Amino acid sequence: MVNGYAAASLAEALEIRSNQKVVPYAGGTDLMVENRSGVDYLFLGKIPELRNINEDDEYIRIGAAVTFTQALEDKKVPALMKEALKRIAAPAIRNAGTFGGNLGNGSAKADSVLIEFVSDARLRLASRDKERIVDVDKFYLGRKKLDLAADELIVEILLPRTGLDRYSYEKVGGRNALAISRVSFAGIFDERDGRITKLAAAFGAVADTVLRYKDLEETMLGKTLDEARELKEKYLEGYAERMVLTQGRVSAEYRKKVCMNLLGDFLAKFGI
Amino acid sequence: MEKISQSVVKKDHAPKVSGRSIYVADYPPEGVLCGKLLHSKVARAKILGVEVPKLPEGYFYVDARDVPGDNNVNIVLDDTPVFCRDTVEYIGEPIAMICGPDEKEVIRLRDECKVAYEELEPVLDFYSADEKFFDYNFGHGDVDKAFAEADKTYEEEFETGYQEQAYLETQGMMAEPEEGGRMFVHGSSQCAYYIHGAVMRALGCGPTGVHIKQDVTGGGFGGKEAFPSILGCQVAVAARKCGKPVRCVFDRREDMEYTSKRHPSFCRYKAAVKDGRVTALDIDVKFNAGAYSTLSAVVLQRGIIASPGIYNIPNVRVHGSAVKTNTSPCGAYRGFGGPQTFFAVEMFMSHIARDLGREPLEFKRTHLVKQGDQTSTCGKYHFPVPIPDMIDEVVRESDFENKRREYAKAQTGRYRRGIGMSMYFHGAGFTGAGERDLIKAVARLRKYKDGRVEVLASNGDIGQGVRTTFPKIVANELNLPLDQVFYEHPDTARVPDSGPTVASRSLMIVGELLRRAAIKLREQWKDGEEQEVEEHYKEPDFVIPFYIDKFEGDAYPTYAWAVNAIELEIDTYTGVARVLGAYGSFDVGTPVDYNVVMGQMEGGFLQGIGYASIEKMDYDSKGRIRNNSLSDYLIPTTMDVPRLKCMLHVEKYPDGPYGAKGAGELPLVGAPAAYLEAVEQALGGMKLNHAPFTAEDTLSAITKEVN
Repeated sequence: MVNGYAAASLAEALEIRSNQKVVPYAGGTDLMVENRSGVDYLFLGKIPELRNINEDDEYIRIGAAVTFTQALEDKKVPALMKEALKRIAAPAIRNAGTFGGNLGNGSAKADSVLIEFVSDARLRLASRDKERIVDVDKFYLGRKKLDLAADELIVEILLPRTGLDRYSYEKVGGRNALAISRVSFAGIFDERDGRITKLAAAFGAVADTVLRYKDLEETMLGKTLDEARELKEKYLEGYAERMVLTQGRVSAEYRKKVCMNLLGDFLAKFGI
Repeated sequence: MEKISQSVVKKDHAPKVSGRSIYVADYPPEGVLCGKLLHSKVARAKILGVEVPKLPEGYFYVDARDVPGDNNVNIVLDDTPVFCRDTVEYIGEPIAMICGPDEKEVIRLRDECKVAYEELEPVLDFYSADEKFFDYNFGHGDVDKAFAEADKTYEEEFETGYQEQAYLETQGMMAEPEEGGRMFVHGSSQCAYYIHGAVMRALGCGPTGVHIKQDVTGGGFGGKEAFPSILGCQVAVAARKCGKPVRCVFDRREDMEYTSKRHPSFCRYKAAVKDGRVTALDIDVKFNAGAYSTLSAVVLQRGIIASPGIYNIPNVRVHGSAVKTNTSPCGAYRGFGGPQTFFAVEMFMSHIARDLGREPLEFKRTHLVKQGDQTSTCGKYHFPVPIPDMIDEVVRESDFENKRREYAKAQTGRYRRGIGMSMYFHGAGFTGAGERDLIKAVARLRKYKDGRVEVLASNGDIGQGVRTTFPKIVANELNLPLDQVFYEHPDTARVPDSGPTVASRSLMIVGELLRRAAIKLREQWKDGEEQEVEEHYKEPDFVIPFYIDKFEGDAYPTYAWAVNAIELEIDTYTGVARVLGAYGSFDVGTPVDYNVVMGQMEGGFLQGIGYASIEKMDYDSKGRIRNNSLSDYLIPTTMDVPRLKCMLHVEKYPDGPYGAKGAGELPLVGAPAAYLEAVEQALGGMKLNHAPFTAEDTLSAITKEVN
């Protein structure tokens, strides 16, 4: 039989987590698909500290048990994140599914995670005795592999408050609703005084983890649009060379072609 | 709207939406053994033996040796075994069943069975497969002469893939031994009497030794036409051996991988054109039947009869075959062979038109059959062909001609649009002489003392509404309120054989028998008495007798007609097509319930769009179907076709109740051709030849074009 724990506070949850081998969950939408026998579960969906969306000077802080619907209705959540959220599954799933669960599943197809990658989000993790903050790309180690200790929980997602306004977002699913991403793309552009200050591009659902190549992005930073246009071919070649994609529900060739098309479209959209 | 067409609340609405309906999986487990099939893991092998783990008390291993009667399931031929013979012929073929009280334990025991296979080379390449289960030839006119005299000739190949029925409820049957040795088999099914015949044979008993009841069924779409006969035999054999009720309900993966699907097809079409008209068609149709013949004979017949489309072509030669491969046997699915050949002929006609510099719609119009014309099998279109009016309706509703002209202009940019059209029929009722020679349907009405009337027939409600529409017809004739007339799920112990729930026949054929029975009852109605009346099918006098050996005569007494238009927009960066609008005019005669018919039209049309676009399934080099879940095999949701406009055009059929004809299958059949023609236009006039045409196919076509 499955043993279930329901924690009323974060402290209680961390206490259980430190003593028991448990699989944490909140919305339970993934358990509807894969409910393993012989596993003990820890329910986090009713913990007040995990269900808030706050902001400070630097970050929008989204609790791990915040549902997608809750985030969609919150003015603090940036438009780019909402673009991704509103195409997750269907309303019933969005009502239950949470940010922490999307991360914790360890899938490169997770739609909210792509936005966290492209926006340099950080995660606040906690165990009973300590707390740490980790960059999302350091947290995601590979397919189903996370930098999360057995006694830790994801507490908050820290999304930068600024610099997310000029973006591209694309999701290619097998259909218009209730579809797992086959390719997803998010790009963020920013400039100051005619020079590029940000050109982030992240690709979801095409490899074991979300792909982002910061060294390639850096080649464009500080450049004017004219200079960027000249560098464009080389920049795209860099991506074409680096992106080694996996075959899944669609072929690797298809994914690559789509990724390159969407990256090109993103550049064109901002005059590059 | 006629009174009979006015919608009522479906009789099974309340129990279904409130969750109170009892499906086969819902009967309490107490005293019922769970059965799980041991499936072959290889596509073709000799079975050297099965090492069965030690079975705890109360657990059983059931295989072919336990079949008291004949280990062959009666479908059309008898080649499908109840449990495998010395060899297995596809991945998933049932070798044995483990039965026992605890499901987890049954699964563990099943998984611990060690099957010793001596692997044999399987036939997996459909193109080169040459073992033909069925091979038919027919035609008329002088095809060779027409080709010799042609101005121009054409040749093209067309392919279609599998399609999975994806009913909500998976396959499930249950068998319960009754007192006196009688076996009661019930479950999710379409054709109680098919199962009856099959189980009688497997158990080696007479007609009274077994009775079959349909449980509430969560969708069939043809997938529960033949398969429940096989599963019914397996649970009946198991229940006989165990001496207890045995229930086997498939899980989704088992169901998607191992049960029957739509036949993949490969068609080669040749045409002769003279003076701007197609004068001859030379058609070769090949269906992938899978490992056993099941329903392939009749699916193929319907497919090849429809293969020249709805065009009056003076010279036609058709060859059709259904070949064996070592894969899951294919079977019935809404449309039953028609979707494959209508796809081919509609695309072919469109391509010929474009090559001749003509608009496909205008070209097709000049070739349309009309009342009195000869059918492909030298029968006759006895009734008016309403297609020209239906084209006008669809053209008007979709603004077809303007859009077609607009989208024909060179398109640049990321998103490009196209619109396409298809036109077709679905022969109403059984193909050929089946209704007259094989089925010989009987329907009965029983009037109780209190004045309530029960419909006694063997047609199962699988969502198409016969539990509502049959009583509606009877109530209408007897001037009774609808709640005075009822129709339960059929049990062969109680109802006559009014035939299977297939071929869009139930309402048209059995509904008419019930209408006549109601008139008969009306004439002899006596208050306070129990009375029973019966009607037998009689072929209408106008029908030209059909002979299958020469493929001649009326294959169908009448036809349901349809015209579809689909408008879409292609994202050239991702290959994803967005359907902007799907428009269909459907003639199913008089709708006996408007909402029921519209539900069928919309659902079927959407299924057809799925078949055209995203529903892709194939087997790998070992013969295994990999995408066996609903997250890997996607079917469209309502979000995929937000604008789905269905219209009814009524051309009454005098021998159907109030003018009703077959409805269920029609809406699925024509979507692929309309969809692909739209994709072709969006892509700047390419010629495409296969369905489904996925986003990946689109992107690869664009890439090829560029290079």
